[in-house]
Amino acid sequence: MKGGVILVGFIVIAAAAGLIAPRYEAEGALRFVSEMFLYLAMAQMWNLLAGYAGLLCMGQQMFVGLGAYALFYTALQLHVSPYWAMPVAAIFSGVCAALAALFMFRLRLVYFAIGTWVLSELIATFLSRTPAFGGASGYQLSEVLPLIDFDWFDATIFWISGGIALAAVWGSYALMRSHIGLGLMSIRDNDLAASSLGVDVWRNRLIVFVLAGAGCGLAGAVYFTAQLAVGPSQGFDSNWVVAMMFITIVGGIGTLEGPIIGTVIYFALREIFTNVLDLSGSWYLVAVGAAAMAAMLYAPTGLWPPIRDRFGIAGLSVRRRPPAALRGQAPPETVVTAADFKSS
Amino acid sequence: MVWLDLLINGICLGGLYGMLGVGLALVTGVMRLVNISHGEFIVMAAMLGVGASDLLPGLNPLWLLLPVAAVFFFVGYGVQSVLFNKVVTAPDFLAPVLLTFGFSIVLRNLMFESFGADVRSLTAGGLARMSIEVGSLSIGVLPLVTLGLAILFFVVLQLVISRTSFGRAIRATADNREVARLMGIKPARIYNIVMGMSLALAAVAGMLLAMRATFTPFSGISNLLVAFEVVVIGGFGSFWGAMFAGFLLGVAQLVGLKFDPNAGLMYVHAVFFAVVLFRPQGLMGVKLP
Repeated sequence: MKGGVILVGFIVIAAAAGLIAPRYEAEGALRFVSEMFLYLAMAQMWNLLAGYAGLLCMGQQMFVGLGAYALFYTALQLHVSPYWAMPVAAIFSGVCAALAALFMFRLRLVYFAIGTWVLSELIATFLSRTPAFGGASGYQLSEVLPLIDFDWFDATIFWISGGIALAAVWGSYALMRSHIGLGLMSIRDNDLAASSLGVDVWRNRLIVFVLAGAGCGLAGAVYFTAQLAVGPSQGFDSNWVVAMMFITIVGGIGTLEGPIIGTVIYFALREIFTNVLDLSGSWYLVAVGAAAMAAMLYAPTGLWPPIRDRFGIAGLSVRRRPPAALRGQAPPETVVTAADFKSS
Repeated sequence: MVWLDLLINGICLGGLYGMLGVGLALVTGVMRLVNISHGEFIVMAAMLGVGASDLLPGLNPLWLLLPVAAVFFFVGYGVQSVLFNKVVTAPDFLAPVLLTFGFSIVLRNLMFESFGADVRSLTAGGLARMSIEVGSLSIGVLPLVTLGLAILFFVVLQLVISRTSFGRAIRATADNREVARLMGIKPARIYNIVMGMSLALAAVAGMLLAMRATFTPFSGISNLLVAFEVVVIGGFGSFWGAMFAGFLLGVAQLVGLKFDPNAGLMYVHAVFFAVVLFRPQGLMGVKLP
């Protein structure tokens, strides 16, 4: 019930903020929060892959770019408002993810990570030298601009971004509470043991890879709609995955709350570096890289798990309690644990 | 004749790609760590080479190969002992990858801040213009020297690993870290030296690449991806496989550029995907771990 109250509160505040902000010329704040929502959604998708499915995807920016390209292509070809092309972007990115999985799932662990990165570079190079897809300069929304109501543009993008962020967090929660999520976590912890218990490793991973691809594609499409233009070097920029990685591991990989904290820290750092200290974007990236390294060395669980344990907050925990514990009995002592299979 | 010319030039370029890959494969094979910042070290070596040859005008940059390689041996030794050894025994694979990924971001952006985004290259003086005439073929001397150096480094590395007692210690550590430790080998020290060797190779390859083509602080990503493709195509832990994979990718790149001058590394990546699709275990060597 508490979750429901928070959810309703979030929706009411977001709706009101979108309505009120244009009157006080606070579109800048709306755009800033929209960007945070989209980064949160992308990071949550990356967290699903790396933190729950054991799939480290360093080419996740390819779905950001593909979603944006799908939206621009559809909107310009069919001459429709970009809002209507957003579902196309999500579906197209999801289909691309399913196709990519055919190749990429042959590679494991780090090889999968860098293999997806190569695929992203391949697609970006292909797009940048194909004039039919805008070439090196990419697409602009110029022809369909009359279809957009610019009085409400920032507010609409804000509501859509908020909806996507909400769907990403609650969708991830629902997915991880389902049998797919249980299967995924068992695969992440020990794929041999999981498959010997009848968990279909390939199918579970495919589902989450497709969902993450569709989610990042949709978020990327909305992000570049707000920019009104997309190019291969922006859409397929490896700094997208840098942001997703930073947000996830600093906030807490493998927790649903982690990316929320991580997003706040990412944007707070960005504001401090670029507006307060007046440093360039690359100094900010140096700090992002260094902070990610520090997190890996000294706090590999990220910030959320210590906070959760210190204050005993359940939050969006997807932990399941065994039936015995529900009845108030101690669970039977296990003789063989998953750790026993680890050395294989 | 055009084809033979492309083949020879492709093999000369491929020797360099093989070297990029062998440095990465050595580290991966010995300590199960894929160094994502490998590409950035390649670019840093080229930057150091450019800086040193600016200070010493008139000196052929080929003489700078060994000093720069020596510098990067110590850089590798230091980075491994200070940073990478902390995560090398981590139970999951995420920690080492994300640490080296973070490191690559730091290095790339520091290079951009220090040197700007200018396109640079190393000029090899008169050597770059010299060529040998064989029949109607004209083969550049510099690519041949490059290929010769690449093969030399391959042979030396192969001999060190397979014939010396130090090489035996490396192989023992790669096979079983704990048993090697029981036999009096210090795994951390072996790791430091192996990372030093890897970065020394990367430095030589980086300088030779900078004599062939231009680079920017952001070239590290494409260097890393090529090196990685060499490792996967060559088959995990196979030196000769890596060399052959380098040749294949070098030829693929030059043939691709012949038809399609703006393609960049597109055909190299395409060959990589063809191999992954049809022979995921690589062309030679054993199955991926």
